[in-house]
Amino acid sequence: MKRYAMVVDLKKCLGCQTCTISCKLFHGLGPDIVRVKVIEQEEGEFPHVERMFIPLRCMHCDDPECLKACPTGATKKRTDGIVIVDQDECMGCRYCAVVCPYQARTFIAVDRRYFPGNGNLWEAKRYTEHQTGTMQKCDFCYKRIDEGISRGLEPGIAPEATPMCVISCIGKALYFGDLNDPESKVSRLIKQRNGFRLKEELGTEPSVYFLPRR
Amino acid sequence: MKEVKTYCFQCYNGPDPFKMIVEDGIVRHIEPDFDCAGISPGEGRVCVKAYGLVQKMYNPNRIKTPLIRTNPKKGKNEDPRFREATWDEALELVAEKLREIRKKGLLDEKGYPRLAVSMGEAGSPAGYGGTFPAFLSAWGPIDFTLGGGEGSKCYHAEHLYGELWHRAFIVASDTPRNRWTLSFGHNTNASAGVSGAMRHADARERGYKRIQAEPHLSVSAVTSDEWIPIKTKTDAPFMYAMINVILHEMAWEKVCDIDFIKKRTNSPYLIGPRGYYLRDIETGEVLVWDSVEGASKIYNDPSIKDFALTGKYRVRAKERGPDGEEWIYDEAECRPAFQLLLEHMRAYTPEWASEVCDVPASTIRRIAREMIENASIGAEIEICGEKIPLRPVAITLGKTISNGPGGYQACWARTILAMLTGSLEVAGGSVGASQRLNRPHHDRWSSIWPGEDGFFQNFLNPTDPERRANLPKTRSHYTELVPLVGNTGWSPFLSPVPHAWLWFSQSPENWEKPTYPDVWIIYRTNPNMSMYYTDLMEETTKEFPFIVSIGYTLDETNWYADVILPEHTDLEGLQLFRVGPSTHSEAYWQEYGFALRQPGTAPPYNTMDMTELSTELAIRTGILKEYNEAINAGIILGIRLQGRGYNYMLNPDRRYSIEEIWDRLCRASVRLLTNGKEERDLEWFKQNGYFTVVYPFIRHFLHPVMVKWGLRYEIPYQGRLKIIGEELKRRLEDKGIKWWEEQLKEYEALPRCEDFSQKWDESVRALGLDPDEYPFYMVNTRSMQYAWGSNASLPIMAEMAKYVTGFGGIVINASVAEKLGIEDGDTVVVESPVKKKTCRAIVREGIRPDTVLVTGQFGNWAVPFAKDLKIPSLNEFMYPDQRLFDAGGSSADIVKVKVYKITID
Repeated sequence: MKRYAMVVDLKKCLGCQTCTISCKLFHGLGPDIVRVKVIEQEEGEFPHVERMFIPLRCMHCDDPECLKACPTGATKKRTDGIVIVDQDECMGCRYCAVVCPYQARTFIAVDRRYFPGNGNLWEAKRYTEHQTGTMQKCDFCYKRIDEGISRGLEPGIAPEATPMCVISCIGKALYFGDLNDPESKVSRLIKQRNGFRLKEELGTEPSVYFLPRR
Repeated sequence: MKEVKTYCFQCYNGPDPFKMIVEDGIVRHIEPDFDCAGISPGEGRVCVKAYGLVQKMYNPNRIKTPLIRTNPKKGKNEDPRFREATWDEALELVAEKLREIRKKGLLDEKGYPRLAVSMGEAGSPAGYGGTFPAFLSAWGPIDFTLGGGEGSKCYHAEHLYGELWHRAFIVASDTPRNRWTLSFGHNTNASAGVSGAMRHADARERGYKRIQAEPHLSVSAVTSDEWIPIKTKTDAPFMYAMINVILHEMAWEKVCDIDFIKKRTNSPYLIGPRGYYLRDIETGEVLVWDSVEGASKIYNDPSIKDFALTGKYRVRAKERGPDGEEWIYDEAECRPAFQLLLEHMRAYTPEWASEVCDVPASTIRRIAREMIENASIGAEIEICGEKIPLRPVAITLGKTISNGPGGYQACWARTILAMLTGSLEVAGGSVGASQRLNRPHHDRWSSIWPGEDGFFQNFLNPTDPERRANLPKTRSHYTELVPLVGNTGWSPFLSPVPHAWLWFSQSPENWEKPTYPDVWIIYRTNPNMSMYYTDLMEETTKEFPFIVSIGYTLDETNWYADVILPEHTDLEGLQLFRVGPSTHSEAYWQEYGFALRQPGTAPPYNTMDMTELSTELAIRTGILKEYNEAINAGIILGIRLQGRGYNYMLNPDRRYSIEEIWDRLCRASVRLLTNGKEERDLEWFKQNGYFTVVYPFIRHFLHPVMVKWGLRYEIPYQGRLKIIGEELKRRLEDKGIKWWEEQLKEYEALPRCEDFSQKWDESVRALGLDPDEYPFYMVNTRSMQYAWGSNASLPIMAEMAKYVTGFGGIVINASVAEKLGIEDGDTVVVESPVKKKTCRAIVREGIRPDTVLVTGQFGNWAVPFAKDLKIPSLNEFMYPDQRLFDAGGSSADIVKVKVYKITID
């Protein structure tokens, strides 16, 4: 059984937001709707200051709070560990967003456009892929993965079967693969470089690991 | 779904190939093109800007059809009242003006070209202009200027001195083999493109060390091992002190690359009493001292046993100074250049620099020692089967470090440190990324030929009276004021003023006031925003008789235009462009060749491909024959349409379609790359994207070709510059010109260093104001979302930029903000001696208390969307002051300001 996971190398992320925009473009997301974003933190006092970038997304927890909170069953966990939202089943209650410890979900409250009322052809065509009043979050580009696998490609190795953020990252800071395979790149990186997870103490068992900056 | 291959050249780090995914009649999204992973340094990936191209294409705020001005009055508060026009009407209006010029004569009564053309920064228009260069070439004399921040928004001193010393328009580090990089404000993560970002990310993974010295903690400092918060414009003093440590505190004879210093530089050249190279009386060749034989010899005498680097000698010889003047000595007292360097650097101690830079002397000492310790002197590495030195240490300089006062000194000191460690143009060290003032642009080796005195050939503007008399006239006078800039295609874009047009209102003493060009074409640039003194620029622009903008949206320059011609954007046009072997920053390719940019779908608006636009203008102005002949002759990318075994020449009298022209250029380009053996047509390029052949990677390093020709870099001693400066001084004195005197002082054989940050205080004082009233250095930083991309009108780019600190306001130090009662997000007033504006305060720890920072270049009042952002631009706070310009004619993005909170009484 596969368990797909992502590894984020904090040493390599340069905060450029290429992952953020490539994801938005691929999934056809409107203004301020993001599935992935790179946040920034500053610590210390001048002149001893540390500034860092942290790419964030749904952590695809093995024991996801959102799954338990979802009253309609729209949030599902696949057998390969990917947590997804079925828009047809989502009623827009937003309980999932409240319980998610990682604030990884964005709600499409209204049909907002970058160019309101201006007849932008791209926005008109692409936004039909999402339903207003439903929840958006990272789904590890599972359709891309499934499509790739059906063509005999290996996720995390073949770009066509790998999430957009991973293949677009210009710092090559993102890795994708099977956590259950000890020989996979993600498993090896986590082991070799002391990969850690955010808010591990909550016990949700996230599938997104971070490699320390130093 | 269909994949369409194309490239991104929104910044000079490209072109970067990528794929458009086309579905249901739209460019659905963009993906990397991993097919070129082994060829391109970006491995087929593209940065945030490329993904924004989709919004750029479908942006409803674009200019969607040609526009003609109906309000004859021009001014910021005058609505141009543009009306929509057909292409035929708009082109005919332009052509009519151009035909009038051809009737009157291409030069006006004062000898200036009647047609002027301004283009955007860093050569990026070339990746989009189609056959526009053929139209410009067919036309005849044109006054070219750079619209994107002439001289002051680039690495100006690095361009001029880098090309002079080692054919390096940009100096980069050989990052994949580098172990230690010291960056003075070089913002790799924002401005070195995909390749730069990726190479440094790989190097971090490998464990190289990177130190970032700059007044604010930039996005590049985030990924560095150390941040040194150095005071603005004191980078040269820091490096001078590093040199002092190496030469006077370390045993330089033991720790430096002596072999490199003796054989590849002018360190052993004897310098005479007047400061010129000492020469053999009979042959005129430069002399050195053979320390074994105890005699002077000509520098390339094969019998030399060892070169003296130190000491004082007496030699029968001569000196040659400005205008060929010579002095013959029976016994000239002389010293090797290196001895003079030792003496010159003695005063620049770490203690002196510490006071200037606001960095502990112990830090400067440690950094100097680290550089030496990491230089691995003696090590070699094999590249393409050839062994070359491996010196994995490099120093990179940012924009504001390598322009304006102190730019020369910073570039010189960096190159001296490379000399001492032998890390110049070798593996792991400081390497030129491209050449632009010399040809061919794409292969630095091919331009290295033996010149005078053991150096390679350089082609500078003449400083002798005879040849100066025949220089072509331009309104920026780059040929007359800046010898180093030369006079090739790129030279006018590095002119000695922020923009040539400023001479109209500010023509200095004894300097001819230029005439307005009859027609001004602006292409992919918005000079009224990109230049200093934006208000002054606008006042000048409105006086222009006829302005043609080839534009994307309404902006602050084409607000004054008479006609706006909307071109196809990046995802809509068709053209071939060169890829590899290197462009500007760290884009070192394994192969080189040509890539196709092609439309993904039919363009959504009534715009025109630049090739069609150029053909139309050529026909309508009666120069179709010259236009076709220019294409035949290779004006487009150096691809001649005829060669051994092939002939794709255009019939000069016939009109060709866009596809016909590029099909021939595609075929000829592959012939060119394969010595005539292979051919690929346009259809093949459409399917495959690019055709490349192997570029021997060793050619990215000058070292082997320097060894092959037995040549030396003209460092540390600037014998030639000294003479050029003296000659230029004489020529300007002949004309009664005194206002370039400060700049002339820069032409020193061994440049003196000072606290250049003080120049900005002096400037405030000269206005009759108290510098203490303006306590902050306002500086600027690039962001990857915006740099060079013309993305200000794209909401998605603002959305991306807001995740990175600095966008949308002015960054100020937390403790200073607290004293001023300013909290994060407050509206504050920023005030320079000439401008006052409000903006949002961004309170952070990662900035010096004497510095405030503005990101990107906004200040727009006309560009859709951007005009509502209310972000100030550094340019609008600037004011003309000659003392803030260097000898190359560039200034730095710095202005002194005060910042205070708005209080309501």
